[in-house]
Amino acid sequence: MQPALPAELPAGAEPAQLTREVFGNVPAWAQTLFYLLAAAAVGVFVYGIVRRVRLWRKGRPACDAVSWRTAVRRLLRDVLLQKRLWGRGMASLAHVLLFSGFVVLLIGTTLIGVEHFLADVLGREPNAPVFHKGLYFGVYELVTDTFGVALIAGCGMFLVRRLRGTGSFARSPADVGVLVALLAIGVTGYAVESLRIIHAETRLAGLSPVGYLCAAAFQGTGIGREAAGQFHFLLWWTHAALALGFIALMPYTRLLHSLAGMVNLAIRDHALGVLQPVSIAEVETTGQIGVARLADFSYRQLIELDACVSCGRCEDSCPAFEAGKPLSPRNVVQDLVGAMNGPGLEQNVHGDVIAAETLWSCTTCGACADVCPLGISPMRMITDMRRYLIGEGALRGSPAVALQKTERAGNPWGMAASDRLAWAAGLDVPLASERPDFEWLYWVGCAAAYDRRAQKVARSVARLLKAANVNFAVLGTEERCTGESARRMGDEFLFQQLAEQNVATFASRGAKKILAHCPHCVNSLRNDYSQFGGQFEVVHHSQLLSELVQQGRLKPAAHGKSAAGSITYHDPCYLARVSGVTEPPRAVLAASASGTGQATVVELPRNRRQTACCGAGGGRMWFDDALAQRVGQTRVREIAASGSDTVAVACPFCLVMLTDGLAAHRPDVQVRDIAEVLAEAVFEREANS
Amino acid sequence: MKILVPTKRVPDTDQKIVATADGTRVAVDHIPYVINPFDAIALEEAVRIGERLGESVEVVAVGIGGEGYEQQLRTALATGAHRAVHVVCGQTLDPWNVARLLRAIVEWERPQLVLMGKQAVDDDASQTGQFLAALLDWPQATFASRLELQGERIRVERETDHGIETLNLPLPAVVTTDLRLNEPRYASLAAIMKAKKKPLDLIDAEKLGVTIDPRIEVLRYRSAETQRRCERVRSVDELIERLRNQVGAIV
Repeated sequence: MQPALPAELPAGAEPAQLTREVFGNVPAWAQTLFYLLAAAAVGVFVYGIVRRVRLWRKGRPACDAVSWRTAVRRLLRDVLLQKRLWGRGMASLAHVLLFSGFVVLLIGTTLIGVEHFLADVLGREPNAPVFHKGLYFGVYELVTDTFGVALIAGCGMFLVRRLRGTGSFARSPADVGVLVALLAIGVTGYAVESLRIIHAETRLAGLSPVGYLCAAAFQGTGIGREAAGQFHFLLWWTHAALALGFIALMPYTRLLHSLAGMVNLAIRDHALGVLQPVSIAEVETTGQIGVARLADFSYRQLIELDACVSCGRCEDSCPAFEAGKPLSPRNVVQDLVGAMNGPGLEQNVHGDVIAAETLWSCTTCGACADVCPLGISPMRMITDMRRYLIGEGALRGSPAVALQKTERAGNPWGMAASDRLAWAAGLDVPLASERPDFEWLYWVGCAAAYDRRAQKVARSVARLLKAANVNFAVLGTEERCTGESARRMGDEFLFQQLAEQNVATFASRGAKKILAHCPHCVNSLRNDYSQFGGQFEVVHHSQLLSELVQQGRLKPAAHGKSAAGSITYHDPCYLARVSGVTEPPRAVLAASASGTGQATVVELPRNRRQTACCGAGGGRMWFDDALAQRVGQTRVREIAASGSDTVAVACPFCLVMLTDGLAAHRPDVQVRDIAEVLAEAVFEREANS
Repeated sequence: MKILVPTKRVPDTDQKIVATADGTRVAVDHIPYVINPFDAIALEEAVRIGERLGESVEVVAVGIGGEGYEQQLRTALATGAHRAVHVVCGQTLDPWNVARLLRAIVEWERPQLVLMGKQAVDDDASQTGQFLAALLDWPQATFASRLELQGERIRVERETDHGIETLNLPLPAVVTTDLRLNEPRYASLAAIMKAKKKPLDLIDAEKLGVTIDPRIEVLRYRSAETQRRCERVRSVDELIERLRNQVGAIV
């Protein structure tokens, strides 16, 4: 049956404007009541926001302020364009649909409000709108109608996911309730629109395709114009009540994430490798270090807590969680949120809220902070809480011994400082004290200084630098641990003590450019040391080596063992994710393998920024874990399954962890630093020519 | 209940310690110092007793020696001692005289328990605790690997060459601690800073009325010489062959 819709002008009618009456079919008393309810809803909303802001302001001040320009750019990129949200397939799509529908309809509704207000001020008749007419109206109807579909589709997808899925995302009754409410607002919106089309005989109703189709469907049931009017009024109220209730409840439900998240994305300080320093003077006056209570977090971190929507992406990417450790970054944040909404900001969070075991499980790989669409850093909350544990003397066993040894001997192994050059025996490596005009200061690091296996990495680097005629020097016995592990374990002052010593050494030796083969040292020297007066360029050896190959100063030719088989590459977290260096090590490997016809590197399933942690970061290197309980065992299996007979790494921690792990699965797989692979290719050539 | 924990300051065990060329002393000028590891275990145990029993327990750390001792006593405070006493003494001390000075401190402080390491890792004398118990005429239990306070008594499991011996002593008593008793916590710089407000009292050794009369005279220091040679063999057979024919370890 063809619905008799007023798509055409009724014969003999005056050519009216293309518009629709605002508050059509809604009597004056109902309009007044609506505005009263709207005011109440906004009041409840504002009260909720004010309450939250008051709470946030109880946090500590944060350091660097973000400029307005940056904040606006981030709002456009991360909020409006949802840049950080992609990467989770249908869930990402669902959010973008829901978000865009919500924003467009909110703007649409606001415009109607503005129109109604202006019309009221200018004393217009109900059918003579100020701007809600003509072409504008046509576009308006089409756009809002379309985005209504987006909203409903987004809600629908999320609901299906919650009813069926088993993923890590939030699915409490409150979470489902919010989605159902939003879906109901969308559906009642279309119902109201279609009934209005029937009742008010809206012109060119096809401009709202969905409304038009719904109207046709309603008419198919034989509903009359009068009845449509009555239903319209009823549903209009339902729609209005739902929408107002929704707005009022936003700050009290999971939807708070949209507001807190927006603020957080705009103002967060987001560099993955940066931790905020604590001053000794501050601790001497307060007698406390690190986060004991929620009020010890910075106000930004409290905003982060409210921004969390419990989507679970952090949990999905957390290597400690994957290894069955008692840590889920999502739970850390949500447990803190629970404490904030329950006992309050003064409650000590250690023990009952966050267990020490949870905090010590973190490898500070940064994956959680990197994948969070809302810019939350559970990792930094963890390191801040660790500081408290360290201040309380709550760390025991092998990691405590490592810190103690670092403090006494300047390296976590507790080896004598006089042995720092043992790795270079017979290599004639220049010392900075003897060659003051060096260009590069080669920072060897404790691992390569003392660990037998890692010493070979430093030997390879030194031989390559010499072969390429790079003017470099090492500090020798003047070098101390960077304090990177110590800082990430929460031992801030041990780190600061070491940083001050090393910065003074750099200054006395005139170091401008520092080369290191350890990504943890690279990040610490770059991001940690700049907070303590260290001003120098820091480069990872993969970067310098790939440059030397490119310039033809190193000429690899593959005769080595590693080049004969296939080779895969494991991205270190602190190189790929924290420092963003992913291609230079691959270039080094490709150059080393060229000539065998296997110039490409076999990629692991998780590579580059999405790499999986070996398990040694954040001080985990010093924890005594049984092999099966170690973080990174799934990574080891991934490498074993790649079928490669060599896995190249670019970090001494990865070298140790993967060697240990592979020894149990595939002892035939060689773990080698990229410098070793390159050195083999370069020096084999020399030996053969 | 008051627990007194004497703590000795010793050179860091990770460092290479050598005698000076003239053999008159040990070259320790640039070597970091630590609390004697066995004393650290005693301190940890005392702090744990305090954590279990609450505010009725007071842990007092004692150090006897020169100015450098302050650092270790601050560490002791950061570990959880409530108070520290620094007996300032510039003379070289042997275990007998340390025990005599400690007796004076014990008579002043009147603790119910003296908990200390079974020996110091610098001279490995293992005498001070025993001397002190004798001087005080208190019961003693040495080499404790487990202890439990039972009202006015203390139950101690001690490690001997033949197994575990369990003793039950009345308090006050002297107990010296072995390695396996516990794993001491880490006193970070932050913890030391937080403990800065705890009292550290200075007492001049001379005011304790003890005249130091050394019973031990050090004649000479000499560094131990170790000559280790490493070689890699190709097979088990070669190893056996070398051990048999070159080293003579297998007949």
